[in-house]
Parts: sequence; structure tokens; C-alpha cells
Amino acid sequence: MVGNDIVDIREAKKYSNWQRPRFLEKLFTSEEQQLIHDSPSPFLMVWRLWTMKESAYKLYTQTSPSRFYSPRAFQCTIENSKAIVCYEDFQCNVKTKLTSLYILSEARLSVNKMTYDVVLFHDKNPKIQSELLKSRLLEMVSKLYNTNRPNLNFKKCKYGIPKVIYNSEIIHVSMTHHGNFGAIAL
Amino acid sequence: MTKDELITKLKAIIAPYVQDEEAFKKLSEDTDFVKDLKINSANLVDIILDIEDEFDIRLENEDMEKMLDVKSAMAIVNAKLEA
Repeated sequence: MVGNDIVDIREAKKYSNWQRPRFLEKLFTSEEQQLIHDSPSPFLMVWRLWTMKESAYKLYTQTSPSRFYSPRAFQCTIENSKAIVCYEDFQCNVKTKLTSLYILSEARLSVNKMTYDVVLFHDKNPKIQSELLKSRLLEMVSKLYNTNRPNLNFKKCKYGIPKVIYNSEIIHVSMTHHGNFGAIAL
Repeated sequence: MTKDELITKLKAIIAPYVQDEEAFKKLSEDTDFVKDLKINSANLVDIILDIEDEFDIRLENEDMEKMLDVKSAMAIVNAKLEA
């Protein structure tokens, strides 16, 4: 089981302003705000923490199906290479990949390797983007399970949580997109 | 403020973040910010801050938690304005 989240760095620079009044207070705990202030790149730390929170939320809602917007309550700690997010009694490990173009996080219950496939979109249409992402996801699952695409059934539950059904097995997956980038994880 | 006035104000706040213009044209109380309008969750906080500025109110964590559709946004703003 995995939750993932990507931030397109160019998009975040263009369409989000983390320096606007009350932005940080709304999303981050005082400890997280300290991490941001102490960071050599506050911008990158803001979005790293954001992807950690979002990926942890996406994992949490798979364990407890629900939908809400409470980013501040997903509390991040980063110590050396270990990153953890806690929400009430829930806790998960998060791994983050940072490139010059995007920041991508994957949250898992146990420490594990990242399994991402990153997609660069050439079309701005959200429907075309999500179809492409879905197709890449099914491709990834079909390779892993050594089966043909028609045997796989993609579904979203009422909370919008995606999953793939193969025979009667439920395969937990996670999808994310922002700006020109999308990513999938198994 | 009437329901229509409130929806009009909210529409103006939401507009810059909308990714699905077709769904935006059909906006109703049942419209979901993320599922229907494809607003990125990274921009939900901007909508919340814009609402605070526009109506001169402050939203707490428990208000933010429900801010996922037009109906909830209207209910929260109304409750704050009446308080």
C-alpha cells in the first residue's frame, strides 16, 4: 500500500505563493515552520513537506476510507535520511525524490524502496492527463503481474481512491499530478 | 447576503484555480473543488486564504477540513458571518 504526491517545481513557483500571509500557519505546524525557516531553500522545504503530507494523507485514506482537508494535522519529522508523518494514531514512512523539475514523495507503512514512474504531460487538458496516467498505471501493473491489460480493472471508490482489480485481488495504487508532471506508484 | 450573492463571490474566488472550465460553467452547490473543478489540492489553501480576505473572517482547522465543495464553503462562510 502506498500514497504518492508530486509537485511540479515550475508550477509551484508560478501558481503558489508560500510567502503570502498565513499560508505557512495554515498548512504547517510550528516545528515544520522552523524546518522551513532553517532550510537553505525554504521554497523546496515547503514543497517537500507538502508532498510528504499529501502522500501520507493518500495512504491514510486507503487504510480508513474518508475524505477531508487537514494538511496541518499530518505532522512531519525529518531526521537525517528518515522522514515520518504522523496523523492521530497513524504513522508512516515517507521517501522523497527531488530533481530540478519536480519533488515526489511516496508514503508507506513500512520502510521500502520507491516504485514511481513519472510521466511528463504534453497536454494541459486534465481529462487527457488522467487518461494517460491511468494507462501508464495499468501498463505498470500488467508488467508486474505478468498479465494483459484487459484482465485489469481500474476503479475509483466514492472518496476518489484508485485501485486496480486483477481476478478478485485488489491492488493498491496511488496516482498524483501537478502542472506538467504525473506519477504513479504501486 | 443572499445565496446567489454568496455563490457569485465564491465563483470569483475559485475562478483562478479552476482546471476544468466546462465543469466551472455548470457550477452548483454540489460542485466539488477537486473532483469536478480539478483544482489542485496545493491551491485549496489559497482558496481558503482568499475566502478569509474577501469576507474578513478566519477559518479554523475544523472549518478547513470540510472545505471540499461549494456547499460546505457556503455553510462555513455563513456560519462565520453570523457568529
